[in-house]
Amino acid sequence: MSKIKMLPAMDKLRFSFIFLLFIVIKCESVNVDTVSSDIRFKNVDRTIDISSQLVKITSKLTLENTGGTPVKNFLLAVEQFAKNNVAFVGAKDSSGKDLRLVETTVKGHDQVRFWRVDLKDAVNAGSTAIVTVETVLTKALQPYPTAITQQEDQLVKYNGNLYTYSPYLVASQKTNVIINTKSVESFSKVKPFTQQDGAIQYGPYPNTKPFSEKELVIHYRNNSPFLTVTRVERLIEVSHWGNIAVEEVIEIEHSGARLKGPFSRYDYQQDHHSGPASVRSYKTLLPASASDVYYRDTNGNISTSNMKVKKDSVELDLRPRYPLFGGWRTHYTLGYNVPSYEYLYHTGNDYLLKMRIIDHIYDDMQVDELVTKIILPEGSTSVKANLPYAVTRLPDSLHFTYLDTKGRPVISFTKKNVVENHIQDFQLRYTFPRLLMLQEPLLVVGFLYALFLCVIIYVRLDFSIHKAEHHHKD
Amino acid sequence: MSLEIESMIRYTSPINPAVFPHLTILLLGIGIFFTAWFFVYEVTSTKLSRDLFKELTLSLVAALFSGFGILFLLLWVGIYV
Repeated sequence: MSKIKMLPAMDKLRFSFIFLLFIVIKCESVNVDTVSSDIRFKNVDRTIDISSQLVKITSKLTLENTGGTPVKNFLLAVEQFAKNNVAFVGAKDSSGKDLRLVETTVKGHDQVRFWRVDLKDAVNAGSTAIVTVETVLTKALQPYPTAITQQEDQLVKYNGNLYTYSPYLVASQKTNVIINTKSVESFSKVKPFTQQDGAIQYGPYPNTKPFSEKELVIHYRNNSPFLTVTRVERLIEVSHWGNIAVEEVIEIEHSGARLKGPFSRYDYQQDHHSGPASVRSYKTLLPASASDVYYRDTNGNISTSNMKVKKDSVELDLRPRYPLFGGWRTHYTLGYNVPSYEYLYHTGNDYLLKMRIIDHIYDDMQVDELVTKIILPEGSTSVKANLPYAVTRLPDSLHFTYLDTKGRPVISFTKKNVVENHIQDFQLRYTFPRLLMLQEPLLVVGFLYALFLCVIIYVRLDFSIHKAEHHHKD
Repeated sequence: MSLEIESMIRYTSPINPAVFPHLTILLLGIGIFFTAWFFVYEVTSTKLSRDLFKELTLSLVAALFSGFGILFLLLWVGIYV
């Protein structure tokens, strides 16, 4: 910093020009990186959790700098076959702090998706650093067979890579696959491996080359709920009278093995083990301050739900009108109110709304399409959104509701392929003159006064055909 | 210049939501009283006894109290305008 301060004016100008150019380039083009040959992974400890409907891969990477210059960043890669399934990638350093990730490309590897991880401290030559990388894949587990009867268990197949897919040499690696079941139909047997209850361990495998792939197939029983939220529209309505109303319109589908043959409600009620792959109910967690919760669909209130107020959340036990089997779908509306002091901050006329882009719907959820809409009070201006990850901003619109004149500004954005890791806060800044709150009551007052004036005028009108012959006595 | 969240204070309603019901009943009560007075005055007064200033004042007071009363009624029942 001190160096920049010392620069003469001309250089300062040039510096800012280059900086501007840099920003323009960064905005316009796709990032291009090169694979550094100085980096190698000394050890990789990988855990693949496929006990739910998601594939959660946690890798503990021991990064080693074998070159001569310090290394500031490194690349993560995802195989071609899995690149469209990636919902979330995150990296943490050894102290548990989040590292910055940027999606990037590498010349000559157009079919591979890359992320560049910027390290907080550069790794000096010869030293190592530990980074934990978390990847979540959706729709990577295929039900096999694809259709089952009501009584059958659901079997799924996981197709993955036995080795850590990496642009660098991996000196040693181990993989632990968590399946949480003993009933495994088949699995890839590449020595050395061990199968313990609920888990299969592979490795250690020494010296795997960059971009090495070997098929890993596990065919096992997985009766955990395979629910996909095909679309969720989250509506956040801010009122400066002290309330924030949240409403979620949710379309949900059982995306596991489809139901083959008939559905017997009698068997389903009689035997508790009937329909092991079906979803009877699930839990939704709401903020602790949520009140006035409603759960309904087009028919009206769905009464088969329970609400438990806990210390740090409100737990809803939602039971759809019918159990969900493979291929079945349902949709509903869930709404609640939260007080404004939980999420809205201000100084003077400047306001800041800090809320979650998406909230918990059920454990290990997967959402195909999310649309979040934020309705601000009428008269809000200079809205600025600050989002924790890339979303597609939709054009701003207007919303008309009670006592509105020119409409409330609506900020909306959308994102595809959302998982639990995306439950993060956004920040929305706006300016709202406080006096504008009086607009609503004055609107009612004005309307009533106009009504009374009409009465005052009306009593002065004379509609009689006859002219009064004599005035009434008082 | 954007402000940081640390320097901001939590936003609460200028009127505590807990007093919405009381405000509704009080304001709407006064509002209805004046509205009633206004209408009674309108139908009982004659061309000669009518006083425009009194009519306007009565209706303004009635409109003010009823207007704010209706607003708090909306807020009370959960229509957060």
